[in-house]
Amino acid sequence: MSTVEMAADSAKADPIIRVDRISKTFANGVRALVDVSAEVQRGEVVVIIGPSGSGKSTFLRCLNGLEEIDRGHIVIDGIPLDDDKGHRLEIRKEVGMVFQLFNLFPHLTVLENVDLAQRLVRRKSREEARATSLELLTKVGIAEKADSYPGQLSGGQQQRVAIARALAMMPKVMMFDEATSALDPEMIGEVLDVMKALAREGMTMVCVTHEIGFAREVGDRVIFMENGSIVEVGPADIFFSNPREARTQKFLSQIL
Amino acid sequence: MTTAPPPDRPSTWRSLLRSPLFDIVQFFILVALVFWVFARGTAELGYNWHWYRVPRYIYTLDAETGFTPGPLLEGLKVTFQISGISLLLSFAIGLLTALFRLSDSFVARMLARFYLEVSRNTPLLIQIFFIYFVLGPVLGLDRFISAVLALSLFEGAYASEIFRAGIVSIARGQWEAAYSLGLSGYQSYRHIILPQAIRRILPPLTSQAISLVKDSALVSTIAIYDLTMQAQAIIAETYMTFELWFTVALMYLAVTVTLSLVVAIMEKRFKVLT
Repeated sequence: MSTVEMAADSAKADPIIRVDRISKTFANGVRALVDVSAEVQRGEVVVIIGPSGSGKSTFLRCLNGLEEIDRGHIVIDGIPLDDDKGHRLEIRKEVGMVFQLFNLFPHLTVLENVDLAQRLVRRKSREEARATSLELLTKVGIAEKADSYPGQLSGGQQQRVAIARALAMMPKVMMFDEATSALDPEMIGEVLDVMKALAREGMTMVCVTHEIGFAREVGDRVIFMENGSIVEVGPADIFFSNPREARTQKFLSQIL
Repeated sequence: MTTAPPPDRPSTWRSLLRSPLFDIVQFFILVALVFWVFARGTAELGYNWHWYRVPRYIYTLDAETGFTPGPLLEGLKVTFQISGISLLLSFAIGLLTALFRLSDSFVARMLARFYLEVSRNTPLLIQIFFIYFVLGPVLGLDRFISAVLALSLFEGAYASEIFRAGIVSIARGQWEAAYSLGLSGYQSYRHIILPQAIRRILPPLTSQAISLVKDSALVSTIAIYDLTMQAQAIIAETYMTFELWFTVALMYLAVTVTLSLVVAIMEKRFKVLT
Protein backbone atom coordinates (compact mmCIF):
# COMPACT_ATOMS: atom_id res chain seq x y z
CA MET A 1 0.00 0.00 0.00
CA SER A 2 1.47 3.33 -1.00
CA THR A 3 1.73 6.26 1.37
CA VAL A 4 -0.86 8.18 -0.60
CA GLU A 5 -3.41 5.45 -0.12
CA MET A 6 -2.58 5.10 3.55
CA ALA A 7 -3.05 8.82 4.07
CA ALA A 8 -6.35 8.64 2.26
CA ASP A 9 -7.41 5.71 4.46
CA SER A 10 -6.74 7.50 7.71
CA ALA A 11 -8.62 10.60 6.51
CA LYS A 12 -11.60 8.41 5.60
CA ALA A 13 -12.33 8.00 9.27
CA ASP A 14 -14.53 11.10 9.20
CA PRO A 15 -15.81 12.03 5.76
CA ILE A 16 -17.86 15.24 5.70
CA ILE A 17 -20.11 13.95 2.93
CA ARG A 18 -21.25 10.35 2.77
CA VAL A 19 -23.49 9.25 -0.09
CA ASP A 20 -24.73 5.70 -0.02
CA ARG A 21 -26.31 4.18 -3.13
CA ILE A 22 -28.66 7.02 -4.05
CA SER A 23 -31.01 6.79 -7.01
CA LYS A 24 -33.17 9.39 -8.63
CA THR A 25 -35.68 9.12 -11.46
CA PHE A 26 -37.31 12.28 -12.78
CA ALA A 27 -41.07 12.55 -13.24
CA ASN A 28 -40.58 12.17 -17.00
CA GLY A 29 -38.96 8.76 -16.48
CA VAL A 30 -35.35 9.83 -16.99
CA ARG A 31 -33.04 7.90 -14.67
CA ALA A 32 -30.73 10.64 -13.49
CA LEU A 33 -28.86 8.71 -10.80
CA VAL A 34 -28.47 4.97 -10.39
CA ASP A 35 -26.98 3.63 -7.14
CA VAL A 36 -24.40 6.36 -6.75
CA SER A 37 -22.08 6.17 -3.74
CA ALA A 38 -19.30 8.58 -2.85
CA GLU A 39 -17.47 10.16 0.04
CA VAL A 40 -15.82 13.53 0.41
CA GLN A 41 -13.20 14.10 3.11
CA ARG A 42 -12.75 17.31 5.03
CA GLY A 43 -10.56 19.76 3.17
CA GLU A 44 -10.78 17.77 -0.01
CA VAL A 45 -11.47 19.24 -3.44
CA VAL A 46 -13.51 16.80 -5.49
CA VAL A 47 -14.16 17.51 -9.13
CA ILE A 48 -17.03 15.85 -10.95
CA ILE A 49 -16.76 15.63 -14.73
CA GLY A 50 -18.74 13.86 -17.37
CA PRO A 51 -20.77 14.40 -20.54
CA SER A 52 -23.92 16.51 -20.30
CA GLY A 53 -26.87 14.51 -19.04
CA SER A 54 -24.61 12.24 -17.03
CA GLY A 55 -26.31 13.23 -13.78
CA LYS A 56 -23.45 15.22 -12.27
CA SER A 57 -25.51 18.37 -11.63
CA THR A 58 -28.40 16.29 -10.29
CA PHE A 59 -25.97 14.54 -7.95
CA LEU A 60 -24.78 17.88 -6.62
CA ARG A 61 -28.33 19.20 -6.22
CA CYS A 62 -29.31 16.09 -4.26
CA LEU A 63 -26.57 16.80 -1.72
CA ASN A 64 -28.35 19.90 -0.35
CA GLY A 65 -31.86 18.66 -0.95
CA LEU A 66 -32.72 20.75 -4.00
CA GLU A 67 -33.67 17.44 -5.59
CA GLU A 68 -35.37 14.63 -3.71
CA ILE A 69 -33.74 11.21 -3.91
CA ASP A 70 -35.85 8.10 -4.44
CA ARG A 71 -33.55 5.66 -2.64
CA GLY A 72 -30.30 5.69 -0.69
CA HIS A 73 -28.83 7.81 2.09
CA ILE A 74 -26.97 11.10 2.30
CA VAL A 75 -25.21 12.19 5.47
CA ILE A 76 -23.47 15.55 5.63
CA ASP A 77 -21.34 16.47 8.63
CA GLY A 78 -23.14 13.82 10.63
CA ILE A 79 -26.63 15.11 9.74
CA PRO A 80 -28.79 12.74 7.70
CA LEU A 81 -30.64 14.34 4.79
CA ASP A 82 -34.10 12.87 5.32
CA ASP A 83 -37.72 13.96 5.55
CA ASP A 84 -36.95 16.03 8.64
CA LYS A 85 -37.21 19.67 7.59
CA GLY A 86 -34.91 20.71 10.41
CA HIS A 87 -32.16 18.43 9.13
CA ARG A 88 -32.58 19.84 5.66
CA LEU A 89 -32.24 23.43 6.88
CA GLU A 90 -29.26 22.46 9.05
CA ILE A 91 -27.50 20.92 6.05
CA ARG A 92 -28.25 23.87 3.81
CA LYS A 93 -26.66 26.18 6.37
CA GLU A 94 -23.45 24.16 6.19
CA VAL A 95 -23.37 23.66 2.43
CA GLY A 96 -22.80 26.68 0.20
CA MET A 97 -23.96 26.43 -3.39
CA VAL A 98 -22.88 28.38 -6.45
CA PHE A 99 -25.06 28.06 -9.56
CA GLN A 100 -24.33 28.13 -13.25
CA LEU A 101 -26.63 31.14 -13.73
CA PHE A 102 -25.52 32.92 -10.51
CA ASN A 103 -29.12 33.30 -9.24
CA LEU A 104 -28.38 36.56 -7.44
CA PHE A 105 -31.41 38.37 -6.05
CA PRO A 106 -31.98 41.16 -8.60
CA HIS A 107 -34.00 43.39 -6.26
CA LEU A 108 -31.23 43.58 -3.67
CA THR A 109 -27.86 45.30 -3.85
CA VAL A 110 -24.67 43.28 -3.90
CA LEU A 111 -24.18 43.96 -0.20
CA GLU A 112 -27.76 43.02 0.63
CA ASN A 113 -27.39 39.80 -1.36
CA VAL A 114 -24.45 38.82 0.82
CA ASP A 115 -26.03 40.14 4.04
CA LEU A 116 -29.44 38.54 3.77
CA ALA A 117 -28.85 34.97 4.92
CA GLN A 118 -26.41 36.02 7.62
CA ARG A 119 -29.12 38.10 9.21
CA LEU A 120 -32.10 35.81 8.55
CA VAL A 121 -30.46 32.45 9.13
CA ARG A 122 -27.39 33.15 11.24
CA ARG A 123 -29.22 35.89 13.16
CA LYS A 124 -26.33 38.31 12.96
CA SER A 125 -26.79 42.00 13.65
CA ARG A 126 -26.82 44.41 10.74
CA GLU A 127 -23.35 45.73 11.56
CA GLU A 128 -21.85 42.31 12.07
CA ALA A 129 -23.29 41.01 8.79
CA ARG A 130 -22.13 44.10 6.96
CA ALA A 131 -18.57 43.71 8.21
CA THR A 132 -18.46 40.07 7.12
CA SER A 133 -19.99 40.91 3.76
CA LEU A 134 -17.50 43.66 3.01
CA GLU A 135 -14.64 41.41 4.02
CA LEU A 136 -15.86 38.66 1.67
CA LEU A 137 -16.55 41.08 -1.15
CA THR A 138 -12.99 42.37 -0.76
CA LYS A 139 -11.77 38.80 -0.88
CA VAL A 140 -13.50 38.14 -4.20
CA GLY A 141 -12.28 41.53 -5.40
CA ILE A 142 -15.56 43.32 -5.83
CA ALA A 143 -16.00 45.46 -2.71
CA GLU A 144 -16.31 48.63 -4.80
CA LYS A 145 -19.58 47.30 -6.27
CA ALA A 146 -21.21 46.74 -2.88
CA ASP A 147 -24.02 49.19 -3.57
CA SER A 148 -24.65 48.18 -7.18
CA TYR A 149 -27.46 45.93 -8.24
CA PRO A 150 -26.70 42.54 -9.83
CA GLY A 151 -28.10 43.74 -13.17
CA GLN A 152 -25.34 46.35 -13.34
CA LEU A 153 -22.55 43.78 -13.10
CA SER A 154 -20.83 41.57 -15.66
CA GLY A 155 -21.30 37.81 -15.52
CA GLY A 156 -17.93 37.24 -13.89
CA GLN A 157 -18.62 39.89 -11.28
CA GLN A 158 -22.04 38.41 -10.55
CA GLN A 159 -20.56 34.96 -10.07
CA ARG A 160 -17.96 36.32 -7.67
CA VAL A 161 -20.75 37.97 -5.67
CA ALA A 162 -22.59 34.65 -5.67
CA ILE A 163 -19.49 32.97 -4.23
CA ALA A 164 -19.23 35.66 -1.54
CA ARG A 165 -22.94 35.19 -0.77
CA ALA A 166 -22.46 31.46 -0.25
CA LEU A 167 -19.30 31.99 1.82
CA ALA A 168 -21.11 34.45 4.07
CA MET A 169 -22.89 31.53 5.70
CA MET A 170 -19.47 30.19 6.76
CA PRO A 171 -20.27 26.83 5.17
CA LYS A 172 -18.24 23.71 5.80
CA VAL A 173 -18.59 22.63 2.17
CA MET A 174 -18.83 24.68 -1.01
CA MET A 175 -20.53 23.22 -4.07
CA PHE A 176 -20.05 24.65 -7.54
CA ASP A 177 -22.53 23.65 -10.23
CA GLU A 178 -20.79 24.52 -13.51
CA ALA A 179 -19.93 27.90 -12.06
CA THR A 180 -18.09 29.07 -15.18
CA SER A 181 -20.20 27.51 -17.95
CA ALA A 182 -22.41 30.55 -18.49
CA LEU A 183 -19.54 33.04 -18.55
CA ASP A 184 -17.88 34.76 -21.48
CA PRO A 185 -14.40 33.28 -22.00
CA GLU A 186 -12.59 36.37 -20.74
CA MET A 187 -14.42 36.18 -17.41
CA ILE A 188 -13.82 32.53 -16.62
CA GLY A 189 -10.34 33.26 -15.26
CA GLU A 190 -11.45 35.70 -12.56
CA VAL A 191 -13.98 33.22 -11.17
CA LEU A 192 -11.57 30.26 -11.32
CA ASP A 193 -8.98 32.36 -9.46
CA VAL A 194 -11.42 32.87 -6.59
CA MET A 195 -12.19 29.14 -6.55
CA LYS A 196 -8.50 28.25 -6.54
CA ALA A 197 -7.84 30.64 -3.67
CA LEU A 198 -10.63 28.95 -1.71
CA ALA A 199 -9.16 25.53 -2.39
CA ARG A 200 -5.75 26.70 -1.17
CA GLU A 201 -7.34 27.88 2.07
CA GLY A 202 -8.46 24.31 2.69
CA MET A 203 -12.16 24.70 1.94
CA THR A 204 -13.92 21.42 1.23
CA MET A 205 -15.20 21.74 -2.31
CA VAL A 206 -17.31 19.70 -4.71
CA CYS A 207 -17.16 21.13 -8.21
CA VAL A 208 -19.07 20.07 -11.27
CA THR A 209 -17.06 21.61 -14.08
CA HIS A 210 -15.85 21.39 -17.63
CA GLU A 211 -12.63 23.19 -16.77
CA ILE A 212 -10.10 20.39 -17.02
CA GLY A 213 -7.22 22.73 -16.27
CA PHE A 214 -8.86 23.69 -12.99
CA ALA A 215 -9.57 20.05 -12.15
CA ARG A 216 -5.93 19.15 -12.72
CA GLU A 217 -4.54 22.06 -10.80
CA VAL A 218 -6.65 22.06 -7.62
CA GLY A 219 -8.62 18.82 -7.70
CA ASP A 220 -7.59 16.19 -5.13
CA ARG A 221 -9.88 13.60 -6.60
CA VAL A 222 -11.86 13.37 -9.80
CA ILE A 223 -15.17 11.58 -10.23
CA PHE A 224 -16.19 10.70 -13.77
CA MET A 225 -19.91 10.16 -14.28
CA GLU A 226 -21.85 8.81 -17.22
CA ASN A 227 -25.52 7.81 -17.58
CA GLY A 228 -26.26 8.45 -13.93
CA SER A 229 -23.46 6.27 -12.57
CA ILE A 230 -19.93 6.83 -11.38
CA VAL A 231 -17.59 5.25 -13.89
CA GLU A 232 -14.25 6.04 -12.33
CA VAL A 233 -12.85 7.82 -9.28
CA GLY A 234 -9.22 8.62 -8.78
CA PRO A 235 -6.61 11.09 -7.59
CA ALA A 236 -6.49 13.95 -10.09
CA ASP A 237 -2.95 13.42 -11.31
CA ILE A 238 -3.44 9.71 -11.95
CA PHE A 239 -6.95 10.17 -13.33
CA PHE A 240 -5.84 12.47 -16.12
CA SER A 241 -2.51 10.88 -16.93
CA ASN A 242 -3.56 7.28 -16.61
CA PRO A 243 -7.33 6.64 -16.69
CA ARG A 244 -8.31 3.02 -16.18
CA GLU A 245 -11.74 2.80 -17.79
CA ALA A 246 -12.19 2.79 -21.54
CA ARG A 247 -15.16 5.18 -21.25
CA THR A 248 -13.06 7.64 -19.25
CA GLN A 249 -10.29 7.46 -21.84
CA LYS A 250 -12.82 8.11 -24.60
CA PHE A 251 -14.32 11.10 -22.79
CA LEU A 252 -10.94 12.60 -22.00
CA SER A 253 -9.77 12.17 -25.57
CA GLN A 254 -12.85 14.07 -26.73
CA ILE A 255 -12.36 17.08 -24.48
CA LEU A 256 -8.58 17.37 -24.17
CA MET B 1 -30.37 79.71 -55.45
CA THR B 2 -33.30 78.55 -57.52
CA THR B 3 -31.69 75.24 -58.43
CA ALA B 4 -31.17 74.14 -54.85
CA PRO B 5 -34.04 72.00 -53.54
CA PRO B 6 -35.83 73.30 -50.47
CA PRO B 7 -33.98 71.26 -47.88
CA ASP B 8 -35.92 72.23 -44.80
CA ARG B 9 -39.52 71.68 -45.90
CA PRO B 10 -40.00 67.98 -45.08
CA SER B 11 -38.22 68.35 -41.78
CA THR B 12 -40.40 71.33 -40.80
CA TRP B 13 -43.50 69.31 -41.55
CA ARG B 14 -42.15 66.40 -39.53
CA SER B 15 -41.19 68.50 -36.56
CA LEU B 16 -44.69 70.03 -36.61
CA LEU B 17 -46.18 66.53 -36.52
CA ARG B 18 -44.02 65.65 -33.59
CA SER B 19 -44.59 68.80 -31.55
CA PRO B 20 -46.90 68.71 -28.53
CA LEU B 21 -48.92 71.41 -30.28
CA PHE B 22 -50.12 68.80 -32.75
CA ASP B 23 -51.27 66.55 -29.91
CA ILE B 24 -53.15 69.39 -28.32
CA VAL B 25 -54.90 70.27 -31.58
CA GLN B 26 -55.84 66.63 -32.04
CA PHE B 27 -57.26 66.53 -28.55
CA PHE B 28 -59.43 69.61 -29.06
CA ILE B 29 -60.75 68.34 -32.37
CA LEU B 30 -61.74 65.13 -30.60
CA VAL B 31 -63.47 67.00 -27.77
CA ALA B 32 -65.33 69.23 -30.23
CA LEU B 33 -66.46 66.16 -32.15
CA VAL B 34 -67.74 64.45 -29.02
CA PHE B 35 -69.64 67.57 -28.00
CA TRP B 36 -71.18 67.93 -31.41
CA VAL B 37 -72.43 64.32 -31.45
CA PHE B 38 -73.74 64.83 -27.99
CA ALA B 39 -75.50 68.09 -28.68
CA ARG B 40 -77.13 66.58 -31.77
CA GLY B 41 -78.26 63.54 -29.77
CA THR B 42 -79.85 65.47 -26.94
CA ALA B 43 -81.41 67.95 -29.34
CA GLU B 44 -83.14 65.01 -31.02
CA LEU B 45 -84.32 63.80 -27.63
CA GLY B 46 -85.63 67.23 -26.72
CA TYR B 47 -83.68 67.08 -23.44
CA ASN B 48 -83.41 70.22 -21.39
CA TRP B 49 -80.07 70.56 -19.66
CA HIS B 50 -80.00 71.91 -16.13
CA TRP B 51 -76.30 71.86 -15.41
CA TYR B 52 -76.59 74.94 -13.23
CA ARG B 53 -78.55 72.91 -10.67
CA VAL B 54 -75.86 70.25 -10.29
CA PRO B 55 -73.20 71.96 -8.13
CA ARG B 56 -75.44 72.25 -5.09
CA TYR B 57 -75.59 68.45 -4.93
CA ILE B 58 -71.82 68.29 -4.79
CA TYR B 59 -71.25 71.03 -2.23
CA THR B 60 -72.60 74.35 -1.04
CA LEU B 61 -70.61 77.38 -0.02
CA ASP B 62 -72.43 79.58 2.42
CA ALA B 63 -71.26 82.79 4.08
CA GLU B 64 -72.64 81.58 7.40
CA THR B 65 -72.07 77.83 7.42
CA GLY B 66 -69.08 77.80 5.09
CA PHE B 67 -68.33 74.68 3.05
CA THR B 68 -70.95 71.96 3.28
CA PRO B 69 -70.50 68.75 1.32
CA GLY B 70 -73.56 67.82 -0.73
CA PRO B 71 -75.04 64.34 -1.07
CA LEU B 72 -72.68 63.42 -3.90
CA LEU B 73 -69.58 64.15 -1.87
CA GLU B 74 -71.09 62.27 1.07
CA GLY B 75 -71.67 59.37 -1.29
CA LEU B 76 -68.12 59.59 -2.56
CA LYS B 77 -66.91 59.31 1.02
CA VAL B 78 -68.88 56.08 1.47
CA THR B 79 -67.55 54.78 -1.85
CA PHE B 80 -64.04 55.57 -0.62
CA GLN B 81 -64.58 53.78 2.65
CA ILE B 82 -66.05 50.67 1.08
CA SER B 83 -63.51 50.52 -1.75
CA GLY B 84 -60.55 51.23 0.49
CA ILE B 85 -61.34 48.54 3.05
CA SER B 86 -62.36 46.05 0.36
CA LEU B 87 -59.17 46.73 -1.55
CA LEU B 88 -56.94 45.89 1.41
CA LEU B 89 -59.03 42.86 2.29
CA SER B 90 -59.20 41.60 -1.28
CA PHE B 91 -55.40 41.78 -1.64
CA ALA B 92 -54.95 39.93 1.64
CA ILE B 93 -57.47 37.28 0.55
CA GLY B 94 -55.89 37.12 -2.89
CA LEU B 95 -52.38 36.62 -1.53
CA LEU B 96 -53.55 33.98 0.93
CA THR B 97 -55.49 32.13 -1.76
CA ALA B 98 -52.51 32.22 -4.11
CA LEU B 99 -50.22 30.82 -1.40
CA PHE B 100 -52.80 28.12 -0.64
CA ARG B 101 -52.99 27.16 -4.30
CA LEU B 102 -49.21 26.89 -4.50
CA SER B 103 -48.81 25.06 -1.21
CA ASP B 104 -47.92 21.40 -0.76
CA SER B 105 -51.10 20.73 1.18
CA PHE B 106 -53.84 19.04 -0.81
CA VAL B 107 -56.57 20.41 1.48
CA ALA B 108 -55.28 23.99 1.14
CA ARG B 109 -55.13 23.68 -2.65
CA MET B 110 -58.67 22.28 -2.85
CA LEU B 111 -60.03 24.93 -0.50
CA ALA B 112 -58.47 27.72 -2.54
CA ARG B 113 -59.68 26.19 -5.77
CA PHE B 114 -63.25 25.87 -4.49
CA TYR B 115 -63.39 29.47 -3.28
CA LEU B 116 -61.85 30.71 -6.50
CA GLU B 117 -64.26 28.91 -8.80
CA VAL B 118 -67.37 29.82 -6.81
CA SER B 119 -66.40 33.43 -6.40
CA ARG B 120 -65.23 34.01 -9.94
CA ASN B 121 -68.05 32.23 -11.67
CA THR B 122 -71.07 33.84 -10.03
CA PRO B 123 -72.26 37.44 -10.51
CA LEU B 124 -71.15 39.95 -7.91
CA LEU B 125 -74.72 41.18 -7.55
CA ILE B 126 -75.87 37.75 -6.45
CA GLN B 127 -72.95 37.46 -4.04
CA ILE B 128 -73.90 40.77 -2.47
CA PHE B 129 -77.53 39.64 -2.12
CA PHE B 130 -76.47 36.27 -0.78
CA ILE B 131 -74.20 37.72 1.87
CA TYR B 132 -76.60 40.48 2.89
CA PHE B 133 -79.91 38.62 2.81
CA VAL B 134 -78.83 35.07 3.64
CA LEU B 135 -75.63 35.24 5.67
CA GLY B 136 -76.35 38.70 7.09
CA PRO B 137 -79.23 37.75 9.40
CA VAL B 138 -77.47 34.54 10.49
CA LEU B 139 -74.10 36.11 11.29
CA GLY B 140 -75.47 39.50 12.24
CA LEU B 141 -73.74 41.43 9.46
CA ASP B 142 -74.93 44.95 8.77
CA ARG B 143 -75.15 46.50 5.31
CA PHE B 144 -71.71 47.99 5.31
CA ILE B 145 -69.94 44.82 6.47
CA SER B 146 -71.93 42.69 4.02
CA ALA B 147 -70.96 44.99 1.18
CA VAL B 148 -67.28 45.02 2.11
CA LEU B 149 -67.25 41.24 2.56
CA ALA B 150 -68.94 40.59 -0.79
CA LEU B 151 -66.63 42.96 -2.66
CA SER B 152 -63.48 41.62 -0.98
CA LEU B 153 -64.36 38.01 -1.65
CA PHE B 154 -65.29 38.67 -5.26
CA GLU B 155 -62.26 40.79 -6.13
CA GLY B 156 -59.98 38.64 -3.97
CA ALA B 157 -60.57 35.72 -6.32
CA TYR B 158 -59.28 37.75 -9.25
CA ALA B 159 -56.43 39.20 -7.20
CA SER B 160 -55.36 35.68 -6.21
CA GLU B 161 -54.87 34.70 -9.83
CA ILE B 162 -52.76 37.81 -10.37
CA PHE B 163 -50.65 37.02 -7.29
CA ARG B 164 -50.27 33.41 -8.37
CA ALA B 165 -49.14 34.38 -11.85
CA GLY B 166 -46.64 36.83 -10.35
CA ILE B 167 -45.23 34.25 -7.97
CA VAL B 168 -44.81 31.49 -10.56
CA SER B 169 -43.20 33.98 -12.96
CA ILE B 170 -40.18 34.24 -10.65
CA ALA B 171 -37.40 31.98 -11.91
CA ARG B 172 -36.86 28.66 -10.11
CA GLY B 173 -33.26 29.67 -9.54
CA GLN B 174 -34.39 32.33 -7.07
CA TRP B 175 -36.05 29.70 -4.92
CA GLU B 176 -33.05 27.45 -5.20
CA ALA B 177 -30.63 30.21 -4.23
CA ALA B 178 -32.81 31.11 -1.24
CA TYR B 179 -33.13 27.50 -0.11
CA SER B 180 -29.42 26.86 -0.57
CA LEU B 181 -28.69 29.71 1.82
CA GLY B 182 -30.82 28.00 4.44
CA LEU B 183 -33.85 30.30 4.18
CA SER B 184 -37.17 28.77 5.18
CA GLY B 185 -40.17 28.73 2.86
CA TYR B 186 -41.66 31.74 4.63
CA GLN B 187 -38.39 33.69 4.53
CA SER B 188 -37.97 32.92 0.84
CA TYR B 189 -41.45 34.23 0.08
CA ARG B 190 -41.09 37.26 2.31
CA HIS B 191 -37.63 38.44 1.26
CA ILE B 192 -36.97 36.99 -2.20
CA ILE B 193 -40.08 35.95 -4.11
CA LEU B 194 -42.81 38.41 -3.13
CA PRO B 195 -40.73 41.60 -3.42
CA GLN B 196 -39.90 40.61 -6.99
CA ALA B 197 -43.40 39.37 -7.79
CA ILE B 198 -45.05 42.57 -6.50
CA ARG B 199 -43.12 44.66 -8.99
CA ARG B 200 -44.36 42.53 -11.84
CA ILE B 201 -47.99 42.38 -10.77
CA LEU B 202 -48.42 46.05 -9.93
CA PRO B 203 -49.97 46.92 -13.32
CA PRO B 204 -52.60 44.11 -13.36
CA LEU B 205 -53.24 44.69 -9.67
CA THR B 206 -54.01 48.33 -10.44
CA SER B 207 -56.57 47.31 -13.04
CA GLN B 208 -58.08 45.09 -10.40
CA ALA B 209 -58.23 47.96 -7.91
CA ILE B 210 -59.92 50.15 -10.51
CA SER B 211 -62.45 47.40 -11.21
CA LEU B 212 -63.15 47.23 -7.52
CA VAL B 213 -63.88 50.95 -7.26
CA LYS B 214 -66.28 50.71 -10.19
CA ASP B 215 -67.86 47.47 -8.98
CA SER B 216 -68.49 49.09 -5.61
CA ALA B 217 -71.38 50.92 -7.33
CA LEU B 218 -73.31 47.65 -7.00
CA VAL B 219 -73.56 48.04 -3.23
CA SER B 220 -76.25 50.64 -3.89
CA THR B 221 -78.54 47.65 -4.47
CA ILE B 222 -78.60 46.92 -0.76
CA ALA B 223 -79.37 50.60 -0.07
CA ILE B 224 -75.94 51.76 0.94
CA TYR B 225 -75.72 55.46 0.21
CA ASP B 226 -72.57 55.43 -1.86
CA LEU B 227 -71.97 57.71 -4.81
CA THR B 228 -74.25 55.73 -7.11
CA MET B 229 -77.09 55.45 -4.61
CA GLN B 230 -76.97 59.19 -3.87
CA ALA B 231 -77.18 59.91 -7.57
CA GLN B 232 -80.19 57.63 -7.95
CA ALA B 233 -81.90 59.35 -5.06
CA ILE B 234 -81.31 62.83 -6.48
CA ILE B 235 -82.47 61.75 -9.93
CA ALA B 236 -85.67 60.39 -8.43
CA GLU B 237 -86.37 63.87 -7.06
CA THR B 238 -85.12 66.08 -9.85
CA TYR B 239 -85.23 64.05 -13.11
CA MET B 240 -81.79 65.38 -14.07
CA THR B 241 -80.77 61.95 -15.29
CA PHE B 242 -78.00 62.85 -17.70
CA GLU B 243 -76.46 65.66 -15.67
CA LEU B 244 -76.10 63.53 -12.58
CA TRP B 245 -74.88 60.36 -14.23
CA PHE B 246 -72.24 62.31 -16.12
CA THR B 247 -71.17 64.05 -12.93
CA VAL B 248 -70.98 60.77 -11.07
CA ALA B 249 -69.03 59.16 -13.91
CA LEU B 250 -66.53 62.02 -13.78
CA MET B 251 -66.16 61.58 -10.03
CA TYR B 252 -65.44 57.87 -10.45
CA LEU B 253 -63.01 58.75 -13.22
CA ALA B 254 -61.21 61.23 -10.96
CA VAL B 255 -60.74 58.51 -8.34
CA THR B 256 -59.54 55.82 -10.72
CA VAL B 257 -57.21 58.08 -12.69
CA THR B 258 -55.63 59.25 -9.43
CA LEU B 259 -55.16 55.62 -8.46
CA SER B 260 -53.45 54.87 -11.78
CA LEU B 261 -51.14 57.84 -11.41
CA VAL B 262 -50.10 56.90 -7.89
CA VAL B 263 -49.28 53.36 -9.04
CA ALA B 264 -47.35 54.67 -12.03
CA ILE B 265 -45.16 56.65 -9.64
CA MET B 266 -44.71 53.60 -7.42
CA GLU B 267 -43.75 51.47 -10.39
CA LYS B 268 -41.06 53.90 -11.40
CA ARG B 269 -39.63 53.91 -7.91
CA PHE B 270 -39.62 50.11 -7.53
CA LYS B 271 -38.11 49.45 -10.90
CA VAL B 272 -35.49 46.66 -10.85
CA LEU B 273 -32.62 46.32 -13.24
CA THR B 274 -32.40 42.85 -14.69
